[in-house]
Amino acid sequence: MKSTIAIVTDSTADIPENVLQEHSIHMVNNLVIIDGHSYQDRVDISRQEFYQKLPGMKTFPSTATASPGLYQTLYEKLLQGGVEFILSIHASSKLSGIYNAARLAAQAFNERVTVVDSQNISMGLGFQVIVAAEAVQEGLPIHAILKKIVNLRNRLHLVAMLDTLEYIRRSGRVAWMRARLGDMLQIKPLLEVKHGDVLSLGEVRTHRKGIIRLIGMIKSLEPLERLAILHTNAEQDALELLESITLNNLSMKFIVNVTTVIGSHVGPKGLGFTAIKAN
Amino acid sequence: MELNESDPNPAENIETFNRRPLDGLTLKKLIEAGLSWLRTNQQTVNALNVFPVPDGDTGTNMVLTMQAALDEISNSSERNFGKMAHAVAQGALMGARGNSGVILSQLWRGFARSVDNQEALNAANLAQAFASARDTAYKGVVRPVEGTILTVAKDIATEANEALKDNTDPVAMLKRVVEAADLSVQRTPDLLPVLKDAGVVDSGGKGLFFILEGMLRFIQGQSLETPLSYVQPLSSIKIDETMTMVEPGQDYELVIDFYPQGKLDLEGFYKHLEEIGTSIQLGEGDGMYRLHIHVPTENKYVPIEYIESFATMQKVTIENLLAQLEQIQNQEKDSQINLTPIEPGQIAVIAVAPGKGIGRVFASLGVANLVAGGQTMNPSTQEILNAFENLPTDKIVLLPNNKNIIGAADNAAGLTVKKVAVIPSKTIPQGLASMLRLSPHGNFDEVVQEMIAALDEVESGEITQATRSVEINGISVKEGEFIALLNNKLVYASSSLEASCLGLLERGHAEHFELITMFYGMEMEPTVVTQIEDAVRRAYPMHEIEIKDGGQPHYHFIISLE
Repeated sequence: MKSTIAIVTDSTADIPENVLQEHSIHMVNNLVIIDGHSYQDRVDISRQEFYQKLPGMKTFPSTATASPGLYQTLYEKLLQGGVEFILSIHASSKLSGIYNAARLAAQAFNERVTVVDSQNISMGLGFQVIVAAEAVQEGLPIHAILKKIVNLRNRLHLVAMLDTLEYIRRSGRVAWMRARLGDMLQIKPLLEVKHGDVLSLGEVRTHRKGIIRLIGMIKSLEPLERLAILHTNAEQDALELLESITLNNLSMKFIVNVTTVIGSHVGPKGLGFTAIKAN
Repeated sequence: MELNESDPNPAENIETFNRRPLDGLTLKKLIEAGLSWLRTNQQTVNALNVFPVPDGDTGTNMVLTMQAALDEISNSSERNFGKMAHAVAQGALMGARGNSGVILSQLWRGFARSVDNQEALNAANLAQAFASARDTAYKGVVRPVEGTILTVAKDIATEANEALKDNTDPVAMLKRVVEAADLSVQRTPDLLPVLKDAGVVDSGGKGLFFILEGMLRFIQGQSLETPLSYVQPLSSIKIDETMTMVEPGQDYELVIDFYPQGKLDLEGFYKHLEEIGTSIQLGEGDGMYRLHIHVPTENKYVPIEYIESFATMQKVTIENLLAQLEQIQNQEKDSQINLTPIEPGQIAVIAVAPGKGIGRVFASLGVANLVAGGQTMNPSTQEILNAFENLPTDKIVLLPNNKNIIGAADNAAGLTVKKVAVIPSKTIPQGLASMLRLSPHGNFDEVVQEMIAALDEVESGEITQATRSVEINGISVKEGEFIALLNNKLVYASSSLEASCLGLLERGHAEHFELITMFYGMEMEPTVVTQIEDAVRRAYPMHEIEIKDGGQPHYHFIISLE
């Protein structure tokens, strides 16, 4: 009998719903906590609503990973349902506790559950999950899928321009950002997620210049295999960014309004991309 | 909160508690007590935040995790300690919330694993369980960090083991463990600099302490509902040496040493003081008490009168915090600028800046050092050299920010063995635009190219006063008039400062840009700055406008258009 492999990820992967269904990807929702109330990502609160309310919230929202117990329950259900192995791929362990929660839950199932630290977030994680799901459909075994993920990771670039330093500094997840004063002048940081960490690519002072820099960066990565334009409720900017680059031979292209769980830490009006260079 | 509905008298004392076996039902009561006390102190734990705003949620996350553990056992009447502990661990695992909650769930998991099927615990079992909790928690984290709840768990296990050597019973052990946890929490800032910088102890560790202390308080028959204020050893009373901010109602700090006549009613004492002020701390040593409290101005003598009513006062000190703060802030204005520390091998930028305010802005963008200088005050080659020779890197970028200083910067570059690139920035706005392109860990040549490319991305304007009458570029200028320079070229002159600013913006085609930044000079009056700011906002209502204290001499304004 051919082995069956289930792919599990979490809601920071930002994969569009239709792609999740098409590839039978199981997504565990994280939580966002607003003024003391917990909301399940993707279920209890819409992204548009969240970002519209974000600047006016009394306290900054915080986020929480689903509990290890929840992961354990899902793994159990899948394994009892006939799945032989599980590949559980999650947001960078340097930025969130999600990977750890999944890792702890997996301990009960030994080699039947493999938990992967994607070293990335949003579609930087999402594309890794999609590639893994495609490989499952091709019938590849776990070790070959892991190889594909690593190959993809080496071609993957996630860059974003945040509209303000405020949210990410306050979130405290980027240590060097915490240490910086940075607010003497209004600046918009350009950030890259690499090897699981958030790195600086400098700053811009106007939105327009930021978009020009993003376009330049995408073009410098061509030829591309896949591209996702990421935004935190800045759909017009995202469309403009996508339109201003003419790309051929893309096998996959999305525009993604980023999950509230990441949005809580970066704030509204951010714009960026995840690009996969061609092999 | 009801501790146990079936038990009419939940408050116990140590003797009766000691007669009970440490079994599953007892564990259930202790879990309830730990949760109650944690919940009572939830806001205290939440407030232990390393960021300037109290938006922490560690306390809430730990409460939710413990609540899930209690929910799991709430209908259980399991007498077997091991089985009950496993149920607690399972509940905590299912409900674990946040990093602190996940670690807490791992502590319970390790604890339960060690006591597996045991009917009841003795002290040795308990010490073993603490050790197992510690081990599992450390493994439950991808990269363990000291100075956190992990360290507190470790110190708890160590103390339990020590207590065992003294032949203690479980209750005595718990007592020692709670004390050890308290001390361990207090030491966390010494292990984790980010806590020290923020002036707090670790929140997860404090939460764990409250859980254990709640168990002990229950055993000792103490209340789990009112957050208790503690009497500390005298030495640990913290008297504020420097305050960086004073909250409303904290105008004065009082420290009062006194001997109460008779026994001090702590609960009443605190209740009374909480109506008068905040930041209440009470210490005791050899019968003498020391009170520390912050009060609003109108209450500055109230604590003295109150204490006099039942105690003999030995010493009173009153400090005016507002006045102190003002003094500190004035000092800070003139004090050093926070430069970015340079890690070995990274790219360090040195900027020439004509004023404190502009220097501060460069510093906030990450320059490693500043050289004072600008128009008519050009720094020497040696001064520039001194600014980077001692930095722990050989990759140096210089931003002269004035065309007359580029030469000295080039000379400095020629006199060192370090790799130095001079970015030919001729104005402050160019220097700032270039600075934004810095990636400190990037490839040196690429970063330099980027920084040079950025020079053209900004238009630079300057407003100053003509020192003599002259005609340049077809513009006639009278001595004393305000002249506008756009990218170092004269473009406008007027006897009005406001007109000159607006003239500059018009000639610079500000309408094509998004952002106008204006640095005002050291001689500018605040009212004049506001007046000009208003005029610019009226003329460019759709633009973003930033006004900053540049502190530069000679130039009334340095303006950038982006």
